[in-house]
Amino acid sequence: MLKLENINKKLGDFILSDISLEISEGEYFVLLGRSGSGKSQLLELIAGLTDPDSGRIYIDGEDVTSHKIQDRSIGLVFQDYAIFPNMTVFGNIAYSLHCSKTGRSEVNRRVHNIAADLNISHLLNRLTTNLSGGELQRVALARTLITSPKVLLLDEPLASIDASLKDDIKRLFRKLNRQGLTIVHVTHDYREAVSLAMRVGVIHNGRIIQSGPASEVFSKPVNKFVARYSGIRNYFRVRFMNEDGTWKALCDNSIAFVMPEDKYPENGLMVIRGDSIKIHRDEPTVRPPNCFKGKVSEVFPSEYGMEVTIDAGEIFYVDIPAEHYNMLKINELSEVWISFSPEAAIALEGNG
Amino acid sequence: MKRTSAFNWVMLLLSSLVLLFILAPLAGMFLHTGGTDLLNTARDEDVRMSVWLTLWVSFAATFFFAIGSVPLAWILARKNFPLKRIVLGIIDLPVVLPHTAAGIAVLGFISRDGVLGKAADTIGLTLINNPAGIAIAMAFVSVPFLINSARDGFMAVPERLEKAALTLGASQARVFFTISLPIAWRSIVTGFVMMFARGMSEFGAVVIVAYHPMVAPVLIYERFGSFGLNYARPASVLFIIVTLTIFILLRLVSTGKKENKLSPDAEA
Repeated sequence: MLKLENINKKLGDFILSDISLEISEGEYFVLLGRSGSGKSQLLELIAGLTDPDSGRIYIDGEDVTSHKIQDRSIGLVFQDYAIFPNMTVFGNIAYSLHCSKTGRSEVNRRVHNIAADLNISHLLNRLTTNLSGGELQRVALARTLITSPKVLLLDEPLASIDASLKDDIKRLFRKLNRQGLTIVHVTHDYREAVSLAMRVGVIHNGRIIQSGPASEVFSKPVNKFVARYSGIRNYFRVRFMNEDGTWKALCDNSIAFVMPEDKYPENGLMVIRGDSIKIHRDEPTVRPPNCFKGKVSEVFPSEYGMEVTIDAGEIFYVDIPAEHYNMLKINELSEVWISFSPEAAIALEGNG
Repeated sequence: MKRTSAFNWVMLLLSSLVLLFILAPLAGMFLHTGGTDLLNTARDEDVRMSVWLTLWVSFAATFFFAIGSVPLAWILARKNFPLKRIVLGIIDLPVVLPHTAAGIAVLGFISRDGVLGKAADTIGLTLINNPAGIAIAMAFVSVPFLINSARDGFMAVPERLEKAALTLGASQARVFFTISLPIAWRSIVTGFVMMFARGMSEFGAVVIVAYHPMVAPVLIYERFGSFGLNYARPASVLFIIVTLTIFILLRLVSTGKKENKLSPDAEA
């Protein structure tokens, strides 16, 4: 559907290097990266607003690298929506139809249809200056979708939307994707990727450092950067060693983690997701392999439920559901036990 | 009650002095001019002709030069090219030149030996002592106001809007006419009014290019030179009233428009 082949582009001091990606028809692809990682520039390249220094872009097998922006059938929704302030909502949505000299009655019909689809029919005659973020987002989407693009590019589409409206907009994106629209969504927030993506690419300093199915990228990050992007906060610098056939990861302060069967470098990082760690109020009767005693140092409500910080010689951030936390009847300074299975431990090369 | 500090009093005093400095001579001139003097001057065919000439020639100069200045302003706002800073400097040059020197430069250009003069001569037009020559002299000293204001206007148009329009299938020309121009419109109108006003008040450059037909500033100077202060004063007052009225009207028209003027594309 959409294929990028060895794209290189120099933009001032910044370089997009050797970007290759393949996105299939009907896929929801999320490109994760910090601001300044080159993700918006990549979208502009795909849309044709800038040309790559080298490399090719294919849509449906056709090389569109040198095609004009207007001939690419790509819809781009900008981060701040780029709504034309000198036109009404209707004028904004109808803009592309006016460009293609569509007849008046056809323009009316199509604008009203798409506005009804996106629940903005009541806004059509309004000026755009006092619309809310969510309304502007829908207007921008309607304006782009009316061109029936083959691929929809979304640049940080949820960044300036009230938290209460985010779920609505996410539902809308999922619906569009279910209807068969290929979507490339760029964001800095891994939670958007978790809730929307079929596949994920992580971009850093102008390079794609990992891509694949969302579950794979988040469960097997290739390095600390990707791990951090998947919301992992537990990192330990370790020395890997084999002790009587069992691999262990030794922290600087001599805590040892039992690791699953695998090959390990001599030094590296051991990371573990906060929701893979269990908390026990009392010492487990049968001690599992990775079980440590510690003290609760902080408790915060989080999206997941509760984030409990435990000092067990090393600091562990543990995510547990709120009901589970209430059942444990623990609070700050409580003494607890934590455990996690060796299979949940992820080893990374390098020292982060 | 809150006490006003000495600092504020000093600031207020100094500001008032400057305002007084601007208003006092004008007020004095208005107070010294009787109603009958003003009425007689308004009936004077020469005065009426010269005021009318000043208005329409300055308007025509602004209008014709806008056709080229607006695209120039757009290029300066949107494109980068070698020596751009020098081009920007050249545009501001007429503002810093002594206006009589500017007039001499224009005269050389439009006299029969000059490039433009020769070209005009071939179609039987003499630019010296002609409204066309006056328009050129006025434009020479006032066009920077239009270019700079329009350039500021185009620079304030977010580039993303233009990019969005391109992705929606608009040609570059369509983007210019439906997005950039309407959004920069206010600054362009402001520049237009400034250029028009500056052209009307021009004396130095115009007097060198054309003593006759007389624009109002030249007529006022001539009345003063030939008959003295009392004869020049009513003509000055009359001209000030006319230009102020027009200036205020244009300002009201350009700022009175709704912030987001609907473009034709906005029609439902």
